[in-house]
Amino acid sequence: MSAPLVIAVPAKGRLQANAEAFFARAGLELVKPRGARDYRGTIADLPGIEVAYLSAAEIVDLLAQGAVHLGITGEDLVREKIPDVERRVVLVEGLGFGHANVAVAVPQAWIDVHSMADLDDVAIAFRLKHERKMRVATKYVNLTRDFFSRHGVTDYRIVESSGATEAAPAAGTAELIVDITTTGATLAANALKVIDDGVILRSQANLVAARAASWGRAERAIARGVFDRIAAQARARAFREVRSRFARCDASLISEAKQRFGVETPFGGATSSGMLTLHCPPKHVHELATLLRERGAETVVVADLGYVFSSADSLYAKLEAVLERPR
Amino acid sequence: MTSVRVISTSTAPDARADALIAAFERAGYARVAPAILQPAEPFLDLSGEDIRKRMYLTSDPQGRELCLRPDLTIPVSCDYLASPAAGKPRGFCYLGPVFRHRGESGGEFLQAGIESFGRDDTAAADAEMLALGLNATAHYGLAAPAIRMGDVGLFSALVAALDLAPAWKRRLIKDFNHKSSLAHDLDRLTVGASNARPEYQGVLAALAGADPKGAHALVTDLLSIAGITAVGGRSVSEIADHFLEQAALGAQASLPRQSRALIEQFLAIAGDPESAAAKLTAFAREANIALKPALELFESRIRHLAGRGIELRRIHFSTAFGRGLDYYTGFVFELHDPRAQTDGPLVAGGRYDELLKRLGSAHAISAVGFSVWIERLAAARGAP
Repeated sequence: MSAPLVIAVPAKGRLQANAEAFFARAGLELVKPRGARDYRGTIADLPGIEVAYLSAAEIVDLLAQGAVHLGITGEDLVREKIPDVERRVVLVEGLGFGHANVAVAVPQAWIDVHSMADLDDVAIAFRLKHERKMRVATKYVNLTRDFFSRHGVTDYRIVESSGATEAAPAAGTAELIVDITTTGATLAANALKVIDDGVILRSQANLVAARAASWGRAERAIARGVFDRIAAQARARAFREVRSRFARCDASLISEAKQRFGVETPFGGATSSGMLTLHCPPKHVHELATLLRERGAETVVVADLGYVFSSADSLYAKLEAVLERPR
Repeated sequence: MTSVRVISTSTAPDARADALIAAFERAGYARVAPAILQPAEPFLDLSGEDIRKRMYLTSDPQGRELCLRPDLTIPVSCDYLASPAAGKPRGFCYLGPVFRHRGESGGEFLQAGIESFGRDDTAAADAEMLALGLNATAHYGLAAPAIRMGDVGLFSALVAALDLAPAWKRRLIKDFNHKSSLAHDLDRLTVGASNARPEYQGVLAALAGADPKGAHALVTDLLSIAGITAVGGRSVSEIADHFLEQAALGAQASLPRQSRALIEQFLAIAGDPESAAAKLTAFAREANIALKPALELFESRIRHLAGRGIELRRIHFSTAFGRGLDYYTGFVFELHDPRAQTDGPLVAGGRYDELLKRLGSAHAISAVGFSVWIERLAAARGAP
């Protein structure tokens, strides 16, 4: 294949395992033909794709440049590292793993600071008292600046930090920090607390597409195939199939089920013989089964779904909408 | 073989710019040429982190942050402070490139300008800056630019005179400096939204009525019991002070209505300088607010402007006009193309009496100046 589609995947740790599991669920098995230590791979039974194993930071850079077509990386890095995000990449879908909040945290001892408005007030007073500005340790320089600016906070300086940011206030190299937190345990261990309205971004791993990559007809066709499987699998996971047959099923029952449980009808209403197929969110399955029996159904069958392929391909449409016409 | 294209002409001074700088020199301002590569620290510290995304940053082998100068006011001020003349009255002019990221367009611009340090005749120096700024546009064939004028000192005087908690005063001054029009933001203006936190409300209310020394000691002791001494550069005493200040504000998280009405009334005052001065005098008398020194300076400046032959009716003064930089302390002005063919001001400047102290001077040194955007002027003049 002369111009394969390149998908960048994290090369290390939990993110790699999660990314592989994500593709596997969609029936896309990542394989490394030359052994586990190789940094190049393919997808079994789907030709035309090269999988590049890279560090999270590299993935973001290459997406911004358009040197890879698709990548899996955290939204936090995408928003921090790429200026004019919308012009360069498309955040196609959140993947449900790699959750972390980018948040403003101050020492717990600051009993006078609960909101960004309090912080603003303290920042001004701090400058007037100490004749220097409060320092914010972070690796999220751009996210911090934009967030502080939105809240009208101006009396601060950013101290770039590449590791152990949460230790900066205790070490005396900064007054407060902006960092990622998942459970808050690390912050608490360092006697820090997140400000009430100080969550800058609720981040998770995303499937990201590079707008500047070469998107010829071949690449688009392959990407469409990949997205189709991902979307079909995602939809399948979001629903259970509920089937039944009873003569008294009517439109009002279906509309009630839609309204109460978010049920969908992949094949329309009941057939002439009363066969009914519904897709129901897992948490409402039992309530739906109860409702159907109350209205006359004798048997209700619920089954897991493998894939739900739909001609309305929303995932790929999201990408196609922003790409230029194929060359 | 393709021909070589010269790409550096964009900031090569043209004959008019040279004539302009020669005129500045004849007016008594010594021409200086500060280094293009500057330490980044003063710019970030004085202009705020927001300027970082517009700066061309680099670092030296020791890891110190350097930048291509984004303006000349700070470099000229630093060089003056480092010279033996520091503190004495001196005037400087400059012409050279400044560097700022501007999206797709180039990042290099020509700026000319003047900085005047150490003068005591505040009103005369202010008026001279506006007159020299007008000379600059006239050099480019624009005899009657739109003149916008403000005075940060008047707003500071108003806030100082209002019966408000210190937290409010700090907040108002800061917000004025960072917004072109504070009036639109008064609605949203709140101090310490956490004052409304129910779990603290009772304690705060109790403390608010307490003897201040005792309350301070109590909060300090409580923090000490928790094993807290100094965290993140703020002392326990500082935290206690601010906590009690919040208590004093009580549940009142928004600006008191009466103060707000006064501020709005004040910020609505605009027009030509003479009628604005009359309105300000009436406002101060009716509201029973002492604006006297600031108002006298304002009136004195008007006389100096008239003395320099500037038609006062052409000046649009507004109390709400600020220049968006927190180092301005008094007079501010901008000259614009009346046909608005260009973005941003052609000439912009003002008084920044606090800047030199913030750059490390032991004493306050008065300072006033302006800069001229050469490319914008050339474009404004070139427009039909």
